[in-house]
Amino acid sequence: MIKLYDYVLSVNCYKQRLLMSILDVPYESIPVDFYPGWEHKSEAFKKINPLGHIPVIDDDGYILWDAHAILVYLAAKYDPSGQWYPAGDPERIGETASWMLFAEGTTNTASAARLCVNLEYDFDLEACQAGAHRLFRVLDEHLWFRERQGLDWVCSGAHPTIADLALFPDVVLSEEGGISRMDYPALRRWTDRFRRIPGFVPMPGIFPPAAVKAGSPD
Amino acid sequence: MTADPFTMWHPVASAHDVPYRHVHQAQLLGRELAVWRADDDYVNVWENRCLHRGVRLSIGSNDGTELRCQYHGWRYANRSAGCTYIPAHPADAPARTICNRTFGSVERYGLIWSGESPVGDPPTVDVLEAGTPFGLRNLPVNAPVSLAVRHLQSHRFAPCGRLDAEAPSMTVDGVSDYSVTLTARAGDSQSGDSQSTVVFFVQPVDSARCVIRGVLADAPPAGEQLAVWRHHSTELDQLRTAIEAEAASMPAPEPMVPVLQQVPLHLAEVPDAPAGRQPALRVQVQRKWGAAAGVAAFELAPLEGVLPTFQPGAHIDVHLPNGLVRQYSITNGPGESASYRIGVKLEPDSSGGSSCLHETVREGDVLAISEPRNNFPLRRDSTRTVLMAGGIGITPLLAMAQALDRMSLPFELHCFVQSAEHVAFAEVVDGLGGSVVRHLGLSPDETVAEIRRLAASYESFSNLYVCGPGPMLEAVRREASSAGWPDDAVHFEYFKNTNEIDDSSTFEVALARSAMTVTVPAGATILEVLRGHGVIMPSSCEQGACGTCVATVLEGEPDHQDVYLNDSEHRAGDRIMTCVSRAASDRLVLDL
Repeated sequence: MIKLYDYVLSVNCYKQRLLMSILDVPYESIPVDFYPGWEHKSEAFKKINPLGHIPVIDDDGYILWDAHAILVYLAAKYDPSGQWYPAGDPERIGETASWMLFAEGTTNTASAARLCVNLEYDFDLEACQAGAHRLFRVLDEHLWFRERQGLDWVCSGAHPTIADLALFPDVVLSEEGGISRMDYPALRRWTDRFRRIPGFVPMPGIFPPAAVKAGSPD
Repeated sequence: MTADPFTMWHPVASAHDVPYRHVHQAQLLGRELAVWRADDDYVNVWENRCLHRGVRLSIGSNDGTELRCQYHGWRYANRSAGCTYIPAHPADAPARTICNRTFGSVERYGLIWSGESPVGDPPTVDVLEAGTPFGLRNLPVNAPVSLAVRHLQSHRFAPCGRLDAEAPSMTVDGVSDYSVTLTARAGDSQSGDSQSTVVFFVQPVDSARCVIRGVLADAPPAGEQLAVWRHHSTELDQLRTAIEAEAASMPAPEPMVPVLQQVPLHLAEVPDAPAGRQPALRVQVQRKWGAAAGVAAFELAPLEGVLPTFQPGAHIDVHLPNGLVRQYSITNGPGESASYRIGVKLEPDSSGGSSCLHETVREGDVLAISEPRNNFPLRRDSTRTVLMAGGIGITPLLAMAQALDRMSLPFELHCFVQSAEHVAFAEVVDGLGGSVVRHLGLSPDETVAEIRRLAASYESFSNLYVCGPGPMLEAVRREASSAGWPDDAVHFEYFKNTNEIDDSSTFEVALARSAMTVTVPAGATILEVLRGHGVIMPSSCEQGACGTCVATVLEGEPDHQDVYLNDSEHRAGDRIMTCVSRAASDRLVLDL
């Protein structure tokens, strides 16, 4: 069984739990005392990941770190539909890679602001917040135009990808970092749609969605 | 002369910002708003804070009829914003006075309009009335409204059909404090002139923030719409960069501080309860129809404003044209707050109540009703909820069943009726699917046997609710009690009190808080005597069935003659129904 070196409040660990829940992949969560124990920086943990980061997965001896890399691996290996990582479609795989890089930006701004506020990280909070607002403006406009074309997700096509999944927790927890989403209504609607994906699981601060209206298209 | 923005209507959302089952977060003049569309298409604009702990309601969930706060699950009804349920008090109905602050809402030109205390109607704009309004993408801007309005007057865009036009000529057709109307024209020797008019409404979010909401007067053809949206989005984005650059060079104004509403005086003070059964509301019979064999249903809509919030199990007093007052349960599902629906069975030996409603009251008539009262509240923390309805007794249970169904809580609704034609509100019952069991045409003995089977075992956290004719209620109470159901797990509502009231005793009643002692003579009730002495008491059925006129007993032994309290409550002797019950001792001391 896959082992996930995990911390309940980490957005990057949550991304793995979320994908494995959606893909119905069993896994074992191995809790790492990230805060306040800084266990991921211990010598013992650096034998697993010399960078001292979580998440890390151990899939029957195959070790992989970096949250977005693990998403690529899990989707490529465990999604029989081939939709979450659309490897057979060059255009969609290009878009997925592009928005995954964009998600590195939201992790380094929105989620970094959350670490400042919640876990006493010493980042420049105002710079993180301003950076997140710049990215959210771009993403909100992108999703607004997607909606006008009857599309629900950041990449083309009718199915969400790991790019949506990589962005979702950074966006939906932004208020914990003092970043309001009031100015981004299309982004707020996308978070509702994402939470209705079958297999969705919450984490602290992320709530389950309301049921859809009977007979409505979404 | 600048108009007061607090008395004006402003846009707070685009229609597409409020899809079903979503809560839009908005802000107007410094006040945050939660904006949500119910399944009946009513758009609610509410203060964005839960009355409980101030949590933003915009993170709550919109279940189509109610908004549920994400933190502690308080539920608020569509339209009235009244609280319908508090999970921490599962056995109680929330006070009717717990009601969130609401603001007006009107949908016009593809925008949702609201305001703090708007006067009149939202603005009508001739060019939009005459055209086919087409909403552009909203643009939030970190700058004061006045700056956005000034920059908008020199804004440039190309007309539809000529998006490639290099130098369209622009005219400013109109400017107000909160809007700018522009027309772009482009000439072409071959295809002639193209022109487009856009009205830009500017929503004052806060002193240093606004949202530009452009509406094109005439919708472009479907094939061109995406290009038109893109063109305006690009041009407005450039405009925003210029506006925000200028705003950044100016001192930031103080943020606006919304005034949070104090509890209104009429709620903060002890109300003057009506001396008798005085109707509070006037309603119109919007629809009257046959809901089952012998049952007339009435849909009662308010003459103005919105109806008070109700909880499942609640009833209203209906004041009839012939002077009689009768109680009927509200059958509505949760959040169905546009009207109350009641069902009335024609009683063969009617003393004038049901026959008046069946024969005299017609669609369009105006009736007086009381505000809803709930003396039959529903617990929503049960692991098993059994609802047993005898005939028309289904009415309060139907409201309960719909509330439980909406919250995905398990329940069984047992309908005991003569035949399938006697199931009232059959279309609603059918919608409850497999949770409904119909028991058709059972004899009295078979009914008792079936009740015995259904109530055969009691497990903790089970609750049983029954409403129906007296003999059925007696059977349920007896069978449940002998199967081990505690009194506080068996909830019942009688249609009426069929006990023969013995009012031959004479006794003294002392009111502890009012420092007053009165004598209740034979032939008079406690309620009548107290009212005669100026004591203000609410009441409803006045026959010991509904529970409205309850008083707390401090000393003395009550002579219970009501059917509202259960046996253990009667034995406890600490409450009394003042409309029928009397004193077994010489003197009663009441907490009044």
